[in-house]
Amino acid sequence: MAVVSEQGAAPAAGGTPGPGTKGPRARWATHLVRPAIVVVALVVLYLYVSSRQLDSIERRSLNAAYILSRTWQHVQLTAIVSVIILLVAVPLGVLLTRDGVSRFSGPVLTLANISQAIPSIGLIVLFAVAFLSLPVYAIAVLAFVIHGVLPIVRNTIAGIGQVDRSVIEAARGMGMTKLGVLVSVELPLAVPVILAGVRTTLTITTGTVALATFIGAGGLGDIISNGLASNRNIVLVTGSVLVAALALLIDWLAAIAEDNLAPRGV
Amino acid sequence: MSFWEYLASNYLEVIGYTFEHAVLVLQGLALAVLVGVPLAVLTYRTGLGRAAAVNSASLIMTIPSYALFGLLIPLLGLGTAPAIVALTLYGLLPVVRNAIVGLREVDPAVTESARGVGMDRRRLLLSIELPLAWPVVLAGVRVSAQLLLGIAAISAAVNGPGLGNLILSGLSSAGTPFAVYLALEGILGIIVLAVVFDAAIALLTRLTTTRGARA
Amino acid sequence: MPENGRTDTGPTAEPMIRLEQLTKRYPGQDRPAVDRLDLDVPPGEIVVLLGPSGCGKTTTMKLINRLIEPTSGTILLDGEDVTRADPDALRRRIGYAIQQTGLFPHRSVADNVATVPRMLGWDRKRVAGRVDELLTLVGLDPDTYRGRLPRQLSGGQQQRVGVARALGADPEVMLMDEPFGAIDPLTRETLQNEFLRIQSELGKTIVFVTHDIDEAVKMGDRIAIFNAGSGIEQYDTPERILTEPATPFVSEFVGSGAAIKRLTLSRVGDVPVPDWPSIGQDTHRDERAAAVRAGAREFLPLLDADRRPLGWVPADASGDVLDRGLPIVTRIGPGDSLFAALDAMLAANSSAVVVVDDAGAYRGVLDLETILSTVHTDAGPAVPRPGTVATPGTV
Repeated sequence: MAVVSEQGAAPAAGGTPGPGTKGPRARWATHLVRPAIVVVALVVLYLYVSSRQLDSIERRSLNAAYILSRTWQHVQLTAIVSVIILLVAVPLGVLLTRDGVSRFSGPVLTLANISQAIPSIGLIVLFAVAFLSLPVYAIAVLAFVIHGVLPIVRNTIAGIGQVDRSVIEAARGMGMTKLGVLVSVELPLAVPVILAGVRTTLTITTGTVALATFIGAGGLGDIISNGLASNRNIVLVTGSVLVAALALLIDWLAAIAEDNLAPRGV
Repeated sequence: MSFWEYLASNYLEVIGYTFEHAVLVLQGLALAVLVGVPLAVLTYRTGLGRAAAVNSASLIMTIPSYALFGLLIPLLGLGTAPAIVALTLYGLLPVVRNAIVGLREVDPAVTESARGVGMDRRRLLLSIELPLAWPVVLAGVRVSAQLLLGIAAISAAVNGPGLGNLILSGLSSAGTPFAVYLALEGILGIIVLAVVFDAAIALLTRLTTTRGARA
Repeated sequence: MPENGRTDTGPTAEPMIRLEQLTKRYPGQDRPAVDRLDLDVPPGEIVVLLGPSGCGKTTTMKLINRLIEPTSGTILLDGEDVTRADPDALRRRIGYAIQQTGLFPHRSVADNVATVPRMLGWDRKRVAGRVDELLTLVGLDPDTYRGRLPRQLSGGQQQRVGVARALGADPEVMLMDEPFGAIDPLTRETLQNEFLRIQSELGKTIVFVTHDIDEAVKMGDRIAIFNAGSGIEQYDTPERILTEPATPFVSEFVGSGAAIKRLTLSRVGDVPVPDWPSIGQDTHRDERAAAVRAGAREFLPLLDADRRPLGWVPADASGDVLDRGLPIVTRIGPGDSLFAALDAMLAANSSAVVVVDDAGAYRGVLDLETILSTVHTDAGPAVPRPGTVATPGTV
């Protein structure tokens, strides 16, 4: 939930690199900051927890098997939701930039903007109480996919929209078909923006999946909820740090992928 | 009983939570501006400063909201306090980033001639740079507002105020006929607030921006 | 006098601006941007800093109001050492106008012009009066333009406002960095002329940066030519820069048009007008014919009782031509430049032009040969001398 898509945040920058953009060396330094923070946080957490005498309630949440199962659930759910979002959103975004279909892109973008205001916790709760017969896992996937699709559709439209018109014209002028232009010009040039969308999807989804606990669909959010419900700060903090660490880690991996998968010259 | 009949029966409660929600977000936004703009002013001149400010703010943004609330509770207890702090932290990134962009977009010829006619740093900042950057800052505030309205729903999970309470009431009354209505009231309340905030900030931008700084 | 901004042709008055051994060294660069520069700017003069881009002329200008802080050396303003003075207070005493205008886009024309007076704490009424006065001075109607925003003005109007803002609190010294650079040539010419008119009224001490030799010759009382190494190659009047380039760099920079540029600087009154007889109106027709045929000149001017030229009388004149002469197309005064005289000859398809004094009375005739020999003696081999000189006439 807590990630802003690049488009809205700095409208004045108009597609130019933001103020945080740096050279490759500084970029690598940033890449090292996140894992360092994660490692330090996890080590401190481990030392803190293992130095404490845990009571039975605390032991129920703070054991390796429980933590590993919730982490695995979290990663699984995040992966499934992200993959579905990308499989739906990227083709939909591409479709909405094609001639004849592009007139629908305006309404879709408006819808995307409005939907941003819908809180993910509201959507998952609404689906849970509306479709009582569905398994909670399906509800979680459905709610998070619906919540995450439109921003990525918007990202993809923006990515293809920013491809220089003269490049497309030149390609068409050389006799390339529309499909050829899409595959060999528009999509490659839009890759950086689409990759940014992938990263955003992964990071947002990692965060929203932490809310699956509210409808009993598991994930690391369970540990936070256990801590709140039992009024055990050590459990609360462990859950929170684990969720934060996972989000930072996934964002870090996605950032590295973003830097290395973009075609040269773009 | 339809949704509208149900709403008619508990609209006072809905209005109360909506008001709480709005006040909570306003506090977070105001603090984000009060912290974010000075932060931008202090850091925007050097590449290292900018990178530090923006990267820290986006690091916070990466932390899922439920986890951030969870981290703040041992420090601040349950309720409104962790909610306001969390919202302030989340509101920082768009404000800081846009303030830096806005300050850097001020034409160097303008600042040079302001210094050339003998303006000191403080006057330059207050009468030239900030007024020119202000519309960009407000664009950041607008993005923050939309973001915070959604995140604020989670504060109910830590006994905080706002429309999240209606959503969680819906969850706890799952199986009753009103569960869906309660969740819907919470969601719709937030959407209405999103529209109102957006219009209000647009109006504020018009009112507080001098003609020449308007894009 | 390369590498030396002191000039022996300067007035004896104390300089308004004196730079002594001024140096700017940027960390990490082996060569200083400005190296031990000496320069005197006499009061009431326009001194042009001229040179190729990257020669340090703009840096030098910004060292004067310390937008760039010097690494070492001294800046004297009207005899006072301001090297360590409060830079903001210093800048309020020095007008500043730049090519990009740097007008505050969010403030009206009036607010822009009022910037320095307000910082100096003038009262509202005095500020408003000053704004109107300045707008009028730069040729903008205050009632029309006072409330406009910079982006509602044309490029030329923005430059005018920039100059008005620089004049805000009536500073004695002004720094101008290509203030007429970013506008079309016609508007630039107009603004240059207007600025010279304003300057003739105000008599400010002005440091003017440009890379355009023509602008430098036109605007400058004195020109300092910078080489690529930010040293001053020559600091002199435009005339002497054009006629006696001190170094090969200067002659190359001044370029092949030096002789023509020089013609714009020499006044007809400064050139010896050759002896050229004339005929009075009270003479008889036969006397006139005899005078023309007897003289060495093929044309003689016919003067009225107040010695004002009426027309040309050619050697082969007869009848009416002997009575009234051929019409004179252009008269040149002592204040006109040799360039104007040459232009008049070309326009009239003639090789001579009548010179009159300010009252319109006959002073003599300036011919092409005289102009050529003037250029030749002063500028060396710059202009090849033609073998023959065409006869005047064929009007």
